[in-house]
Amino acid sequence: MLNLAGPVQSSVLTPLEASGRLRGLIPFNVAIALPAQLTVLGVVLVPTVIVVWLSLTDWQPTQGISWYEAEPVWFWNYYDLFHDPRFVAAVLRTLVVVVVCMAVEFMLAMGLALLFLDEWPWRKLAVSIIILPMMVVPVDAANAFFMLFNDRGPINYLISTIVGRPFEFAWLADPNWALLPIMLAEIWQWTPLMFLLVLTGMMNLPENQIRAAYVLGASRTRIFLRIMLPLLTPVIVIALLVRSIETFKIFDPVYILTRGGPGAATETISMFMYNGAFVYFRMGYIAAAALLILVLVAAICTALSRPLQRYQR
Amino acid sequence: MRLLKRSAVCLAVVIAFFPIFWLVSTSFKPIEEWQQFPPVWISSRPTLQNYRIVLAPDAARAFAERQNGAISYKVSGSAWKAFGDSALIACGATLLSVLFGTMAAYSIVRFRTGGDSYPFQFLTVRMFPPIAVVVPMVVLFSMLRLSDSYAGLIVAYTAFTLPFSIWMIRSFIEEVPEELEGAARIYGTPPLAAFLKVTFPLIQGGVLATALFVFILNWSEFLFALTLTTGHVVTVTLQVANYVSASSGKLYGVQAAMGTISTLPVILFGYLIQRHLVRGLSFGAIKR
Amino acid sequence: MSHRQSRRSFLKNAALGTTILAVAPSLPLSTRPAEAAKLSLNNVHVEAAQRAKELANGKPVTLTILQPSGSLGNIKPVAEQWKAATGIDIQYVEVPLDQINQKVLLEAVSKSGSFDIALPASFGIPDLVTSGILVNLDELAEKYEPEGYQKDYLYTIANYYKGSLYGYETDGDAYVMFYLKDWLNDPEENKKFADKHGYKLKVPDTWEELDATIAFFHRPEQGRYGGALYRTQYFIAWEWWVRFHAKGHYPFDDNLKPQINNEAGVEALEELIATSKFLYPGARSNGLFENFEAFAQGDKFTNIGWGGTQKFLNSSKSKVRGKLAFGPMPGGLVNGELVKTPYFNWGWNYVVSSVSKQPEIAYLFTLYACSPALSTIAVRDADGYFDPFRKVHYSDPKIIENYSAPFLAVHEAAMRDSIPDLYLRGQGEYFDVLRVNLQAADVGEKKPKEALDEVASKWDTITRRMGKQSQIVQWRFLKSNYPEGIRNRLV
Repeated sequence: MLNLAGPVQSSVLTPLEASGRLRGLIPFNVAIALPAQLTVLGVVLVPTVIVVWLSLTDWQPTQGISWYEAEPVWFWNYYDLFHDPRFVAAVLRTLVVVVVCMAVEFMLAMGLALLFLDEWPWRKLAVSIIILPMMVVPVDAANAFFMLFNDRGPINYLISTIVGRPFEFAWLADPNWALLPIMLAEIWQWTPLMFLLVLTGMMNLPENQIRAAYVLGASRTRIFLRIMLPLLTPVIVIALLVRSIETFKIFDPVYILTRGGPGAATETISMFMYNGAFVYFRMGYIAAAALLILVLVAAICTALSRPLQRYQR
Repeated sequence: MRLLKRSAVCLAVVIAFFPIFWLVSTSFKPIEEWQQFPPVWISSRPTLQNYRIVLAPDAARAFAERQNGAISYKVSGSAWKAFGDSALIACGATLLSVLFGTMAAYSIVRFRTGGDSYPFQFLTVRMFPPIAVVVPMVVLFSMLRLSDSYAGLIVAYTAFTLPFSIWMIRSFIEEVPEELEGAARIYGTPPLAAFLKVTFPLIQGGVLATALFVFILNWSEFLFALTLTTGHVVTVTLQVANYVSASSGKLYGVQAAMGTISTLPVILFGYLIQRHLVRGLSFGAIKR
Repeated sequence: MSHRQSRRSFLKNAALGTTILAVAPSLPLSTRPAEAAKLSLNNVHVEAAQRAKELANGKPVTLTILQPSGSLGNIKPVAEQWKAATGIDIQYVEVPLDQINQKVLLEAVSKSGSFDIALPASFGIPDLVTSGILVNLDELAEKYEPEGYQKDYLYTIANYYKGSLYGYETDGDAYVMFYLKDWLNDPEENKKFADKHGYKLKVPDTWEELDATIAFFHRPEQGRYGGALYRTQYFIAWEWWVRFHAKGHYPFDDNLKPQINNEAGVEALEELIATSKFLYPGARSNGLFENFEAFAQGDKFTNIGWGGTQKFLNSSKSKVRGKLAFGPMPGGLVNGELVKTPYFNWGWNYVVSSVSKQPEIAYLFTLYACSPALSTIAVRDADGYFDPFRKVHYSDPKIIENYSAPFLAVHEAAMRDSIPDLYLRGQGEYFDVLRVNLQAADVGEKKPKEALDEVASKWDTITRRMGKQSQIVQWRFLKSNYPEGIRNRLV
């Protein structure tokens, strides 16, 4: 995974650059990449090793022993995880959240980007306000949404005026609907990002093709579907990828709005692991869950790195 | 059709602005209006008491004694400690992240260190859910005596923002042709000096933008602050939850005031680097 | 609390006995260091401060207290007097209420030394003890705690784990019932009720009576509701816990086999679910403060809560101020006799961190803060969490003003005879399973028997993971500390 020493021998080193070798011990180019590499190794690799050990034990701080003294339970943690309805539900729920948020964010972003493609008065100001949500501290945005979705808050009030009768639904206390404010908070905060990415992509499209098609009489819809979309695909793919990874990790809104409650109705994978590790302190068990997720993520990344490199070049 | 477009844009602007408006508006409301029904959109009796509680607790207490009905909240931790801690950690982590990131990006672009897939290995770091790393980190930090310390959080933040630093600065360096450095090297300048003298001035703006971007990420970070501290180090994201009172529960107005103040730097920096946001958030893949 | 006295005396005598036996060969009997250092009860706060000052010995010492947000009003006045008396500074570290136990437990792993004293919630003490973060205070108490210090403490069960002292209780979180006096005393209602049920309207003595009264008063079409009881997870579990004990059973038998899914448990759950229909609409979603405000409107007959509830209901913001009758937790008829089971379901304890660099001074502070004189000062603050917990608090004028005398009478009686929460290692896990299943049964997702069976089987798993033998030791100890009047009536 992290092979620092590997390709160094074969990397491009002109004679001039060779003069920069650090006492001939470490090549210069490796040396200056070392701080970054070591930081990442220290904070990611070493914990991963610890996680592997912990996942084989059922260590809990309340056992009164240090983590390295814990008794191994070998693969029982994994067995329990696969049979733990709460864990499985958390994984599925997170996937649902990712898919829904991605879909909604994408469609809104595309729609908005199309609206902002042309020049019109106040356009710049409007863009500035639309990207405001991205620049709010997520915890404070979540607090704002907590207040908004209060059963006597503005959202319910607006719904009451529209529907015509009093509406005091307790969003955050309902096991079926509590996920909605969480997803709305996430969508509200990050659609502007998708919007910016798509807009930038659209503005970088070659104008000639589009103008030519327009002159030749193609309808706007056709231009959009046949020319713009295909050309935008790299941008869209990157935007979706980046956002879905970040959405998969969603934590702040879940913690602030519901803590994963009521019960475990809104537990996403991050919330499940937080609750398991820091409320129940079943650190060995959660280490096994963490390892599963790490493996999953690493697998996806490796699978995607080749195609991604293609898009890059 | 035009009208439809206009109204769609208006709706989008209103939706984008509304929660922030609510946050700021609530921060000026007196306690009775926090959960009033029908909701109070803009307070008719705006008060600075919430801000006083956050910024000047002693003045808040004095005010509460004079004014009937104002919240008198007994604060222990001043928000200034939270601002200070957050600033220290964010600045430290940003410095390290940009420094290491620039060095690594230079190495990757000019020397193709580690091969083509090396940058993607840093990207993998960004893909790990932080919670998966936190559990062993708690253990690791306890052994290294880094628990609940500034250094511990700085290291953690640096590691997790390095992907952004590296990718963003990499994309800036790539825009500067290698020949410029090559020209300097012909005169015998060592490669690093060539980089610093020739390329770096050209990417200064980009590096600054990266720094601000990383600062925003560090300032807004929540999970590590929540799990790697036991009360000695307090960041702005943690301080908000402390505004609870035994007699009124969550002090919404005070939390809103704290939220408004802590979001201001982020909004400021965000607008400063608006041009580069796209590049940063797409890991340098999409450029203006 | 005579059983507490006898236990302490027993331990003290045993300790003394062994000390004498050990020391006898080398020291004359007249010098007994353990006895000489003990403080006197009347001046314990003065002497504790004095001792702390001596220990500090002129060096600048700071004690850090980890406290839940919102409790500063209870701690600061005490800390300031301490500082004046000893010159030892106090620093506060605040964490949100629902995180404090976790932060203390996290400290057991991280050992960062960020606090000397903490205020965790009482039900979390067993977990903290087994993790090693709490100092066993037996020795220090031996050395300093005066005779009779815990005598007028109304509830001390949470102070001990497996026979050792780990912290002093500093809050009076006994559950109390609130009733609208006007509705209870209304002659017309009395007549209607007596006709229907055969006995007069009164403050209910048993859960059956309470359920009947709630159903009787529930008239939503008139804008009147039977009760403002809670149907959210935490509170459902607490209410069920009392109902279950009131039927005459312990949650476990002597070998830690769960009994909660027996007939009595299922009945208790069914009755709880039946009463849910007669509660106000917000019961399933409202938290603590929403409940206070809702009940303060004066259109719901009964509420359940703590001293904090009363502080709100007795304040100027409440429409029911002065209009309330109070009652203890209803009980049940066990073998024909009425058994009432008040419940102490939260509480805060002052504990000393095992990572602290000055545990002795820290202990002296806790002794100081929980002394009769200083604890009264702490409880006086209306904007804090601490409710009265020592007899002497109930005669303090400011405290009477905050809570009202009728309330305090009921509160004191409840505190004296409160059953404890489940003070076992893994309390959070046991109760979490209970909560989730009780609520599932309440909303109709599971049948009561099914839900409780699931809880019982999960409890067995948890016990196995925690170490059955060790848990049994603590369970038997806990059982022996149930209030005298109740201990022998439960099976």
